[in-house]
Amino acid sequence: MSLLAAIRKLWHSIAPRTRSDVEEEFRSTLDAYKEDLIRQGLPEEEARRKARIDLGQPAAQNETYRAAIGLRLFDELGGDIRYGLRALRRNPAFSAVAVLSLALGIGATTAMFSLIYAVLLHPFPYAGSDRIMNLFFIDERHPDGFGFVTLSKAQFHDLGLAAPVDSVLGFNVVELEITGGALPEDILGIYLTENAGTFFGVRPLLGRSLEPSDAENGGHPVVVLNYRFWQRHFGGDPHIIGRTLEINHASYTIIGVMPRSFAFNDFAVADVYLPASVMPVTNVSDLAYLPWIKLRPNVTRAAANSALEPIVRQIAKQHPERLPDHWHLALQPIIWTFQEDTGRTLTLLLAGVVLLLIIGCANCSILLLARGRTRRHELAIRSAIGASRWRIVRQLLVEAIVISCAGAVLGVAASYWLAKLPLLLSPDSFPAESFIRINAPILAFSVGLALLCGMLFGLVPALRLSRHDSARMLPGRQIGGVAAPAKHRWSVLIAAQVALTLLLMATAGTAIHSFLGLMRMPLGYDPANVMQVGIQFHTKDPGEWGRIQSREARMAYIEQIREKIASVPGVSTIAAGTAATPPYSGNENSFEIDGTGDREQPQARVIFVDQRYFAALRIPLLQGRIWNKDENTRGDFIAVVNQAFATRYLSSSTAFGRQLRIPGLMPRNGYEVTSGQSTAWRQVIGVVGDARNEGIDHPVVPAIYLPYTTLMPSYAQFFVRTQGDPLSYLQSIRAAIASVASDQQISTGGLAGTFTLNEAIERDPQYRSQRLFSILFGVFSAMALALALVGIFSLVAYSVAQRTTEFGVRLALGAPRAHVLWVAARIALVSAAAGIVIGLALDSFLGAVLAHWMESAFAAGSLFAAAALLALSVLLACLWPARHAIAVSPTEALRYE
Amino acid sequence: MTKPVELPQGTLEMLILKAVSLGPLHGYGILLRIQQISGERLEILQGSFYAAIYRLERRGWIKGEWGESENNRRARFYSLTAAGTRQLKAETAKWTDMAAVVAGILAKKAGEI
Repeated sequence: MSLLAAIRKLWHSIAPRTRSDVEEEFRSTLDAYKEDLIRQGLPEEEARRKARIDLGQPAAQNETYRAAIGLRLFDELGGDIRYGLRALRRNPAFSAVAVLSLALGIGATTAMFSLIYAVLLHPFPYAGSDRIMNLFFIDERHPDGFGFVTLSKAQFHDLGLAAPVDSVLGFNVVELEITGGALPEDILGIYLTENAGTFFGVRPLLGRSLEPSDAENGGHPVVVLNYRFWQRHFGGDPHIIGRTLEINHASYTIIGVMPRSFAFNDFAVADVYLPASVMPVTNVSDLAYLPWIKLRPNVTRAAANSALEPIVRQIAKQHPERLPDHWHLALQPIIWTFQEDTGRTLTLLLAGVVLLLIIGCANCSILLLARGRTRRHELAIRSAIGASRWRIVRQLLVEAIVISCAGAVLGVAASYWLAKLPLLLSPDSFPAESFIRINAPILAFSVGLALLCGMLFGLVPALRLSRHDSARMLPGRQIGGVAAPAKHRWSVLIAAQVALTLLLMATAGTAIHSFLGLMRMPLGYDPANVMQVGIQFHTKDPGEWGRIQSREARMAYIEQIREKIASVPGVSTIAAGTAATPPYSGNENSFEIDGTGDREQPQARVIFVDQRYFAALRIPLLQGRIWNKDENTRGDFIAVVNQAFATRYLSSSTAFGRQLRIPGLMPRNGYEVTSGQSTAWRQVIGVVGDARNEGIDHPVVPAIYLPYTTLMPSYAQFFVRTQGDPLSYLQSIRAAIASVASDQQISTGGLAGTFTLNEAIERDPQYRSQRLFSILFGVFSAMALALALVGIFSLVAYSVAQRTTEFGVRLALGAPRAHVLWVAARIALVSAAAGIVIGLALDSFLGAVLAHWMESAFAAGSLFAAAALLALSVLLACLWPARHAIAVSPTEALRYE
Repeated sequence: MTKPVELPQGTLEMLILKAVSLGPLHGYGILLRIQQISGERLEILQGSFYAAIYRLERRGWIKGEWGESENNRRARFYSLTAAGTRQLKAETAKWTDMAAVVAGILAKKAGEI
């Protein structure tokens, strides 16, 4: 059945008879009565008249019918709505301002709600996603952080049998290459245990998911594609199923494409999903899966923790290196990592938009009150001819709701784009799978919001306007000289509006202030015009890997590429390194230092670079020297430390000559090679300035710089300082690398990514969240300011227009113009000033609360700047319309009397 | 001619059901029949009459169908439905009971109370 037919059927069941049907029946009764009357001897004309007098008009009969079957309220509301729409059309300026005021508020609130819905309430497409847990443990010595427990296949099986567990998914994220094309392409793959299809319960867009049968006979070479990869690599080809994809020189059959909402895993979204059974086992660490555990329904986390702990203790006994000495289990839902930070961000933003909405509602109230003064006459007539107060209140409320619904329609349309703004500004703060769509809960939310707003801003004016005595109103239009009563309502509304606007402006000011502060913070290095170029060695190709597997060969390979890039015109300095990208650089390592053996395991960042790194990044040398070329090749016996390290660990004497050793510098997997004596004692030969290594917002932690040849992983980073924009050199750098090894591609992601150091800063979560707050609160407060000004402006303009006569009389009697101006703008000015004072008080009260949420207190400077800006704008918004009051010509004004 | 009687609240609907129970009637016919049965003593407010018919039809106690009237005019004829029959029976019983009780009370003499 079509929708139209359904509506028709519903309509028929509400009112089964049509107007013409009812009228025809009544007319036949009239005729029968009329004929009776004629038979009794009345002339025809007289009989028709009497029939109508006795029985009534056929045209009015439908109304009787609808009232009798209980549709009166419905009809009256329909009438009110039509009347409301007509009133909106009659006052286009009023309507536009009122509807836009609300559209801003409702749009922003709906956008924020849909974000919250997508990110916090319903972020994952997986079946039973609220029961899926990460297997975290907490190191009791460092209880702030948490670690992942990795499992091997047999342990997996044990875990799956535990009572509270419904099912367990194992996954392993690996970097892969698509081979067989002109240039290999780096992709991210995830090996999944073959129960993935049922575990996720997500219907694939095309083909099928991984199934247990894919594990048979040692695993089938099949692959499921991520939506974005499918779009990027295959242009969204719908006939992709059954084709093959060459990954790491092996051929895989494409069996499925996941829908867009599926973006496992949220920390590193994979391009391809492969069955775990085909994972090449090269060493022990490859064997370990990360587990996702889906609990049975109604199992508490505490129960699950205590049930799983013995199993994990068993694992810890077999693999003591995977867990610290003292730990306990702490399962966490998969949303948890996002809830922590993003939840706070969204709550704050929601508070901001709710303020905006309240300001919008206050604005509409003010407009309705102001307009209401011109409608008193009309309402008095309605009331005089018998409309009850409730009827008038209802009509005014319906008009308000018509406005708010119009605002909601516009707002929901706008929210679709508004909701994307935070995702664009801070993509890493949100799960990759949350994408914004307008759905039923969100629509219900905004419709509810619209009705609520309509009630909220409509009620005060409705109650106010419906209370009057018609006798006083009716005799004529109100005579000018009478001051309007009950102005305090406007004053309250304006004061509240101004106070809330100041609150938003102060918040925005603080956010912008601290963002600017963040940007001005000294970095300790110069990111301008420096680009990191990363390369990933082809470890999966036995021939190529064999050529660079030894330490010397790899060093020569890196040096060769470095020299080629250095010869590109425009490249001024180039350095090599690993894990050396600021503002997050190095790996945490324990070290020993001579003469302080009693100190408990001191920790420092170890950053692997070559001797040119400090020049390339312009990190100043404070003491001693940097190692030379030969020392760089050897890798052992020397170290350079940063200022923070020297202050913390070497303060007792001069830094030089002190010895330190780092016992952890051993190959961690089959790809890493080390220098001959990487763990031997090293002499500190220099101290360099502090360059940010723990994010731009955190103090620099102690760091040890070592020659990169000390420990070489399967990738390398080059730091290229160029003249002008480094990205414009990308093509020539690519060509330089290709001249060394034709199939060596530049990596785009991961540790060995390619980006400018300024981009690296922009990816800092602190930078992103502060930028997000600055921009969004900036926008919110600009909107709020605009709303408040429009409200004040229209209020003054209305009241001036109403009091034309009064001003004319005042001027005629010789009142100074300045005084008349003051009279016209007085109420708005005084209430706005009160609002600013209240706002300042509110800000100092909320300052402490906000300091907790935003990690920065209100800056007094930005608060007063905001207050001054607000005061100035309010003054203008008052005086601009008020100047019409002194432009009144006394004779002109009195003519209306 | 006897004095006209004013109809108590809510009884018009019962009278319409009664009128229709004797055979299908159009609106004007119902009006005439009620006046005829009551011996022209009932004054029916014209405005409330059709409203009552609409309400009864809405509740499903009477059913309207278009047909030909005695003088070949199209008219809407109402007949009692099964639910209407039950309703009329119940209303009649209730009314008779109440009337008997009220009449009984009013018939008491001063000494009997």
